[in-house]
Amino acid sequence: MPCDADVLTLAQWLSPAYPVGAFAYSHGLESAVADGRLRGAHELEAWLHDVIGHGTGRSDCMLLGAAHRAAPAQWPEIDEAARAFAAGRERLLEAEAQGRAFAATTNAIWDLALPPLVLPVAVGAAAGLRGLPAPLTGAMYLQAMASNLLQAAQRLAPIGQTAGQRILAHLTPLCRDVSGEAVDAPLDSLSSAAFLSDIAAMRHEPMEPRIFRT
Amino acid sequence: MVNTAGGITGGDRLSVSATTGPGATLCLTTQAAERAYRAEGPVPGRVETRLDVATGATLFWLPQELILYDGCALERRLTAALDPAARLLFAEPVLFGRAAMGETLRTGLFRDRVSITRGGRQIYRDGLDLSGAITDRLARPSVADGAAAMCSLVYAAPEAQAELAPLRALLPMSGGASLLAPDLLIMRVVAADGHALRQTLLPVLDRLTGDSLPRSWRL
Repeated sequence: MPCDADVLTLAQWLSPAYPVGAFAYSHGLESAVADGRLRGAHELEAWLHDVIGHGTGRSDCMLLGAAHRAAPAQWPEIDEAARAFAAGRERLLEAEAQGRAFAATTNAIWDLALPPLVLPVAVGAAAGLRGLPAPLTGAMYLQAMASNLLQAAQRLAPIGQTAGQRILAHLTPLCRDVSGEAVDAPLDSLSSAAFLSDIAAMRHEPMEPRIFRT
Repeated sequence: MVNTAGGITGGDRLSVSATTGPGATLCLTTQAAERAYRAEGPVPGRVETRLDVATGATLFWLPQELILYDGCALERRLTAALDPAARLLFAEPVLFGRAAMGETLRTGLFRDRVSITRGGRQIYRDGLDLSGAITDRLARPSVADGAAAMCSLVYAAPEAQAELAPLRALLPMSGGASLLAPDLLIMRVVAADGHALRQTLLPVLDRLTGDSLPRSWRL
């Protein structure tokens, strides 16, 4: 078991209050709702299950794990891979902008020297430097992602508070399992099969009016 | 390109390399769809492709569809190295079985890796790992929502930015296009089957090749 301080540091980094602006990004949910692909809680749970299990969730954990075990000199190469792997311009924007903000805040408080990196690489690098365990970091990263996307979906579709928290509880074992599998995977494993989630992110780009940046 | 073996099965190894010299234009396609048949034994079929595009050169990498049959096992890896002043149009359509022909894909293994570098810097990479009950996976709402055809496309060219709006106008609701950089356009589309995928792809490829799509695509 990790010591409580580890859990609490990660809880702080991955809390919605940490100033990375996560609330501004819907990861393509806004266009998926507009296209009629997400109408209620059941569809949302299935969608998020695959984003975590087969899409960005899994690939972000691979990047996070690679950065966690890498020496700082290797971070730029992992960051380049992450950028090249981005499924579209807005995916790159959300990873870049949140990563930059995460590094700025974390450097200032924990006296680290993280360069601007995309979010999963920045979180993995910071956790590695602080000696926080990669599987736990990945699991909490995924839960934070799921929670943020749920809140985005609740602004877009009629999904109640209890239904939303029930979905998050259902996704929690998946967050743990995906992180456990993905954080140790070699970077060559970087892959995604959530085609329609990636397409939804691209379809969001020309959307007007919009609530979310992505 | 012709695969005289008529398809790929377990243990097969194919490698393709193509170099486009300075200022040259090269278009590569296949004579027909490629087939990944049921594989016996523990070793998957492997296809390795290496593309080099020199300064001022243009390469169209436009193989026809790869059809995955039930029980297939295929690992594919493509690496393209572009000079900073090179152009590449890359499209790789994949059919997950062909239900209309009674060729239903249930289980199999398909691993695909694509890496494109420009001036030594990686500008695009893609990875797909499908194994086990592939059709069940494709049925999922944020995966393919039951669609059985998919294509990813990359257009790396100085004028890529100008193609974004025209390409978007050609796409159905199951497709998207984006600019990762002003000179790097990517597109992905899923479709119910190979016929529907071609209906979307042909106008896109006609446009990006300047109406020079090889005739084998029309047969």
